Parts: sequence; C-alpha cells; structure tokens
Amino acid sequence: MRQAAANRLRAWVMRRHGRDSLPISIHRRRIYILPTRFGVMLGAILAAMLIAGLNYNSNLALGFAFLMASMALVIMHHCNRNLQRLSVDVTTEVDAFAGREAIFEFALRNGSNVDRCDIEARCLAGAGMGSVAARESGTIEVIAPVAQRGVTRVRQFELRTRYPFGWFYSWTYVQGLITIYVAPAPAGTKTLPSAGAKGTGTHSEARGDEDFSGLRAYEPGVPLKHMAWKVLARGGEAAVRSYSSLAAQPEWLEWSSLDGMALEARLSQLCLWVLESDAAQRPYGLRIPGREIAPSGGAAHRFACLRALAAFGAGESPEPGQ
Amino acid sequence: MITDRVSYEQLLGISGCLGLALLAHVTTLPLWVPVIVVVCGSVRLLLARSGRGAPPRGILIAVAVLAMPLLFLRFHTFNGLVAGTALLSVTAGLKLLETKTQRDIYIITLIIYFVSLAALLEGDSFWLLAYLIGVCWLTTATLLRATSSGPAPGWRRSLRYGGRVLAQALPLALVFWLLFPRFASPLWQIPNDSKTAASGLSDTMSPGDITQLALSDEVAFRVRFDSAAPPAPERYWRGPVLDSFDGHTWTRATSGIGGAPPPVQPQGPAYHYTVMMEPHQHRWIFMLDWPSTWDRPHAELSNDYTLMQSEPLSRPIDVVGTSYTRVQYSEPLKPRTRTRDLKQPPDRNPRTQQLAREMRSAHPDDMELVSAVLDMFRQQPFYYTLTPPKLADNSVDEFLFDTKRGFCGHYASAFAALMRAAGIPARVVTGYQGGTLNPYGDYWILRQSDAHAWTEVWIEGRGWVRVDPTAAIAPERVERGLADAAGADDPLASRWQRKTPWFAGARLRLDLLREIWRERILDFNQDSQRKLLEILKIPDPDGQKLVMVLAAAMALVLAWLTWQVHRELAPPSKDVAGRTYARLCAKLAAAGIARRPHEGAEAYALRVAQLRPDLADRVTALCRHYSSLRYATPSTRVTLGQFQAGVRAFRPKGL
Repeated sequence: MRQAAANRLRAWVMRRHGRDSLPISIHRRRIYILPTRFGVMLGAILAAMLIAGLNYNSNLALGFAFLMASMALVIMHHCNRNLQRLSVDVTTEVDAFAGREAIFEFALRNGSNVDRCDIEARCLAGAGMGSVAARESGTIEVIAPVAQRGVTRVRQFELRTRYPFGWFYSWTYVQGLITIYVAPAPAGTKTLPSAGAKGTGTHSEARGDEDFSGLRAYEPGVPLKHMAWKVLARGGEAAVRSYSSLAAQPEWLEWSSLDGMALEARLSQLCLWVLESDAAQRPYGLRIPGREIAPSGGAAHRFACLRALAAFGAGESPEPGQ
Repeated sequence: MITDRVSYEQLLGISGCLGLALLAHVTTLPLWVPVIVVVCGSVRLLLARSGRGAPPRGILIAVAVLAMPLLFLRFHTFNGLVAGTALLSVTAGLKLLETKTQRDIYIITLIIYFVSLAALLEGDSFWLLAYLIGVCWLTTATLLRATSSGPAPGWRRSLRYGGRVLAQALPLALVFWLLFPRFASPLWQIPNDSKTAASGLSDTMSPGDITQLALSDEVAFRVRFDSAAPPAPERYWRGPVLDSFDGHTWTRATSGIGGAPPPVQPQGPAYHYTVMMEPHQHRWIFMLDWPSTWDRPHAELSNDYTLMQSEPLSRPIDVVGTSYTRVQYSEPLKPRTRTRDLKQPPDRNPRTQQLAREMRSAHPDDMELVSAVLDMFRQQPFYYTLTPPKLADNSVDEFLFDTKRGFCGHYASAFAALMRAAGIPARVVTGYQGGTLNPYGDYWILRQSDAHAWTEVWIEGRGWVRVDPTAAIAPERVERGLADAAGADDPLASRWQRKTPWFAGARLRLDLLREIWRERILDFNQDSQRKLLEILKIPDPDGQKLVMVLAAAMALVLAWLTWQVHRELAPPSKDVAGRTYARLCAKLAAAGIARRPHEGAEAYALRVAQLRPDLADRVTALCRHYSSLRYATPSTRVTLGQFQAGVRAFRPKGL
C-alpha cells in the first residue's frame, strides 16, 4: 500500500518535472515531507498535552504544549531546508558485473551557510548517507546490488533526510539518466584461445621480444605507455608506437569459438577472457554477433568490450521497478 | 539508524534528562517511584558501561508486576494526575532498563516531554516553567546527539542548535498561547486527586490554632479596591463562622447552615473590590465583612454571611464583589439559631460561668456587659502573645483566671464563652484582618500571619455586632498588623528582616511580580482574549473572530519562520560596494539606460555620458569611485561611505 502510494508519487513527479538537467539545485517545490513513525507519536503526545492543558485550564501547561508544538513546526522547516538548494550531480554511466554491486557517486555541492547533515541518497535498492558542511562539496556513494546482465537505465533517484531529530523525513526525486552496464558475471573454465595455442607463461618473453615497428595514428583506448610522447612533444600528431608482436598477434575473443554453450555462460566466458587479457596487458578484440571491436588494449577498450557484452541480445532491459 | 544499538553516552544523556524532568515531581510522587526509576537507570547504565546490553525481559516483567499493584494500592486509580504521572515515571524507568535501540530513546524523549507538562499541571511558578523549558532544551540536544548518524555532534553545538530551534519556536508559541480559544469549563470532569493539604484557616478553632498560622508568610489572598480602601479597623475578611462550642474547641455548625442569610440594611459606604484568592482547598472565599454581591456563579452566602462555593478551591480565582463594612440586621434572631448560639457544655469552665453570672447581674444591658468584659481584658494583666501556655480541657477558665496570656483565638474564644454564659448569643468568626498595602501594585496582600479570630454578639435591635476582644488588649494588632503587636518574645525569626525597610520593599516588589504573573499569565482567559481583540480594534470580539485572528497571526508568523529558516541558505551579500553599485545601476536603468551585462563601470559611464550629458559628471564620478573601491590601493581610494552617500543622493530623472 505504502509502496503503491510511493510509486504513484514517483510517476507523478516524473510527469510533473520531466527530465532534469544535472547538476540540479533542488527547489523547495519539489521537496516532500512527512512525519516519521516517531513524528506521528510526537503528534499524538502533543495532542494529549494540549487536551490536558485545556482540561486543567492551565495556562502554563498550554504554553508548554504550544512551545513543543511550535518546536515541531520549526523542526519541520529545518528538515525541509536540509535538502533545499542543494546542488546534485551523479555519474551518468556506471559499470558493474551481474551478481555484484553497482556504485553510484552522488556529488553534492552546498553553497549555503548551513551544514547539510545526514543526507541519504537512494538509487535502485541501494542507499548511502553523508553530510556536506556549509560552503563545501562532498560525495555520497550508493552501493546497490545488480543481479541481471544487461543495460539498465535509472531515470529517477531519491535524496532524503531525517535530520534533525528524526521526527520528520523530507525527500525529493531527481530525474536524471544513469545508464548501468551490467556485464555478465565473469566465469568459465575455458582458457584463452591463444594461450591454448602458444602455451601459457610465454607472454612475458614474447612481449620482451617485441620489436618497435613504427608509428600509427592515435586512437582512444591505447595504453598510455605506448604513446609516442616525443613525437607529440615535437609538435607532431598524437601517435602510438607500434610493436611488431602487438601488431602481428592480436587476440580475437570469438563468440563462435564457444559453440554449444548456453548464452549467458558463453557471455560469462567471454567476459572472463576480456578481464584475463586485460590483466595480461595483451591486445585483444571481441567478436560477437552484431558487434565487432577491433583489437586494442587499455581501460577504455576493456569498458567498451564489457559494455558490448552487457548490451548483447535484448540490448537494453527496462528499468526494474523499485 | 533506528536499529542502531545505543551507546553508554546516549543512555547517560537521556537518563539524565529523565531524572531532571522527574525532579519537578519529587514533592508529589511517592518516594519509591523515583527510587525505582533511579535504580533502573543505574542498572542499565552500569550494564552499558561494561559493554553489555539490556537485562533479560524476565527482570523487566518482574519489576513491572511488582510496581503496578503498588501503584494501584497507593492511588486506587491510574486516571488522576499524580497517579498518571507515577505510572508514566515507572514506565519510563522500565523503558530505560530495556533500552536497546534508538527507537527506545525516542519513546523516553516523548515521556520526558509529557512528564514535564504534567508538572506544570500541578505547579504554577515561573521558575518551574523556566526549569522545564530548560529540561526540554537539554532533552532536545540529547536527542540530536543520539539521532545523528556518524560521530555525535558536540554538546555545545547541539545545545546551540536546540536553542536556536527553541528561539524560533517562541513567537509561534506566543501567538498560539495568546489566541488559542480557551474554554470556560473543562472538557470533562477532572478527577480531584489533589493531595495538596488544605491551608489557612479550618472550620474548627481551638485556642492556639491561629498561632500556627501567624508564623507563616504565605499569601492567603490579595485584594484590589476600586477606590479607597476602608480603614484598618474595618478591614475584616470574613471566613468560616464557628457556632458550636464544646468548652475547648469552636466548630462550624453543620445544622442550620442552609437557607438564605437574614436580610441586612447596609449602612455607610459600599466598597467594590476584587479578591484574588490563592487555592486553599476549602470551600469558603474571603470577602470583606459583610458581603453583598459577588460574581462567582457557583458560590452562595451561607446564612452566617460566609461566601461558600460548591467545590473546594483548588486553583487561584478572582472574585469581584461589593461589601458594606457596617450593617444592621432587620429581622429578629430565629429561635433555633438563638438556642444554638447560646449553647455551651454546662460542666465545663465553671469559673467562667460564675463570672458571667456576676457580671450579668452588674450590667443588665447587653452593650454595657460587652464593654465591661472588654474593660476587664484591658485593665487586668492580660497579655497578647504568640507563645501562650498550653491549655487543657477547661481552656477558658485556665486562660481567664490562670495564664492570662493568649493570642486572638484565646480572646475570641473566652469572650464568646463569657457572652454565651451571660445569655447573649455569641459566635466566633475566623478570617483575616488588616493586610499590607503593596504600594508598587496598589493592592493589599493578606498573608497567613494576618489570620484572625473575632466574635459577633447578637444585640437586640441591631443584630449581629462585631466585637473584637483582641482590639481591646492589643489595638495595634488591628491597626498595624501582627509584626508590630507581638511582644519581645516573638518567635518570628525573620522579624528583624521585616522591619528593615529595604527588605520589606524588595519583598513587596517580588510580590508584585508574582501578582502580575498570576494575573497576566495564570489567569489569562476568555475575557483577556476579548480584551486583546479590543486592543487590536476588532469590533464585537467573539470566538469566531478569535479563530480568524489566530489564523491570520499564524500565517504571518509562519511566513516569518519560513523566511528566518531559509535566510541562511542565501545570506545577504557582504559585498557592500557591489550592492551599492547595483543600486546605482538600478537607478540608471529606471532612468532608461540599463547596464549591459558585458559593460564595465567605465564603459557604462561613457555610454551614459553620451546618452545623457546632464548626468555625465555625476555618473562618471560615481563609476570612478566604484572602480577605485574595487581596484585602487587602500590609500588612494574614496571611502565606502562617500560612495554610498553619493549613490543615495543620486536621483536621475527619466527622459
């Protein structure tokens, strides 16, 4: 029931505000506030205090009850203020492996003169808490488990706070767009194709024998140590030193080499190979149906391969209900 | 988080707050209730200190099973104020014992708030209110420390924050308090479980009773006269009238009280006044002798002219009344009353009866007899003293013939007994006499030490006539009050203080503050609210208008609160030069030349000079001032004040 109400509210907020361009400063009109369980109890106690004061016709008791009630109102304003005009940004692309956790980083900037304490960011099923002092910035990490391979888009996330005192909680929804590339869980028993052909343990020697064979044009994702810095320093085009062994023996991680395996198991095996090749700092390419990534190395290349694996098949999975 | 286990320090803080809140109840609660709470708290704290959790639930249930019947045995109900507070306190103690998580801290906090309120239902002093607000401030700070995630904020920071919340809440609370509609009668009948002992006079009097009162400085009531007050010898405040005499003790007769008082014809001026009674847990209200009108709905004159209300006085009240200090009874004494007011035990005080018979034969006229007895008091060695010897069964005999030392009660008792023995109906009237004028507030204070006893005798043709035998023996008692009348053996330890003028002055000023507190705060009611609306120039104030004003005032205060709370989010710029320059630009924009976003001060001035040659000089100068304030070295630049003054004086006319 509560969940249903929350979902309706989220949908309504989505319609009302549409997509936000991040970073966004949270406007007061999009902050919602409700008493917590204890806030409801406080309300009941305040009502009892008021009735007692009226019944005993005691002006002092009434004054005290009114003071407490006014304090509750002030606290409500403070709770609401805790989120107001807080500037929020979030990483738009997140990489993760199925069955592990995705880490979202929320960057908060507090331009005001008040400390923002105990801000909780929520995304998917995860939550993280942090505080941002006056005129400072900070980040909150939200760690959420992701179960399924695929590409997930999170279109809405939540910031909430119970500070101060926890009588109230106020919250806001931000409509951003976070794409989560959930690569298959790396798993499998097959060894790398090349390792099978050449035998393991020879890579380092093989690399030791690498011969410089010339320069080729720079492309993103090339390991920095292969950059021809001197050429660049002389004012030339960005270039990459090319080694004969690297150029000559790229490793192709082939979908077709894993015939007979189940789809997800195949993807998991490919994922494992990508990670192994990357760890061995060997150039590799990925060939899966509908996608071919030319051999290369480095972090960007690795991410490209993992994202290709994540997006394989159905392409993008719809946003899971929260 | 809510499920976090509480730390030793959090427990210590919240237990301390609970203890402070219960301290306000320590006089009314049975002693073992705070003891249970303290023991529970200490046990839990010791456990927490050694890193252990709450004790097993069995112990809690055992304590609860032990405490609840005890509470019920003591109060026979959980409904009353004291019983409810005791129950709540024990619950808080048990809660403390089982505290595990933050959730329990919240519940104890709520209990602290309510226990504090309960204390205000019983007490009504300013200091109590201030103390309890302090306790709640501390509790709020403790709660902040306990509920913050991460390291708890420091005490000073928490207290400052709690104080700020409290300060921001004050205006709103004040509006609520002033304008929230008050009801004339309670929502439902309050169980009258007041354990407060009745104070002041009672409906019996043995010689020596009033002596106890004379030692007390407690205020019995205050009086404000609309015009001049009657002279001291006429300021008798009528309390219970005592008709039955058993030879030692005078008692208020229970028979023959009903029925309307016999009619009287007022003589002399009427006095209009307001009696501000302190609660004394008796039914009578002290009015100036003899009362004729009053504005208290549930109060009636008994047939001996004492104003009685239907319920004991448990809270302070104001009664507006009229009295005549001299009256004449227009009807003869009823035979039943005459019989009652002549009765005395025949076997007691034989010497007094003998004396009465002798004096009666010497003075057949009633008034002459009265004078003769008063003369006897005056001429024989009778003494007026606060420390009379104790008297046994034949108290009047012993007093008149042996000890001859007594206080007002002795004289009134002896005089009335003599009159009765002589065949003149007589009765003892108790009440207060005189009073102290508080010149700072122009009202009279009647303290317990002003308690007095006098007599009334029935004189045919005149009715009941007041005779105060104390006035015969110690006239200064009636003229100036007790402190002057009591002799050197006065046991009042503080007598020297009362005679010190500055001390007396300070005491009267303090009493004035108390009176203002009572009148303005404690007695604030529907009438006061009506007057408030009249001050606000609202015609025909009624409940509906009050609610409307409340709504309007709340809207205003809430707007202020919102502004106040959010002000810190965007603090006003400290850049005075920049703001002043912005004002200059705004003035020029109003005159038709808006500064373009990319334009610097000098370029802007040039453009203004081209478009409005008439303004050229001044604008160029002002813009140069601004530039120099921004960029020049401190020694060369004009002062900020000069720039501000220049901009303020600059009033360009539109084209």
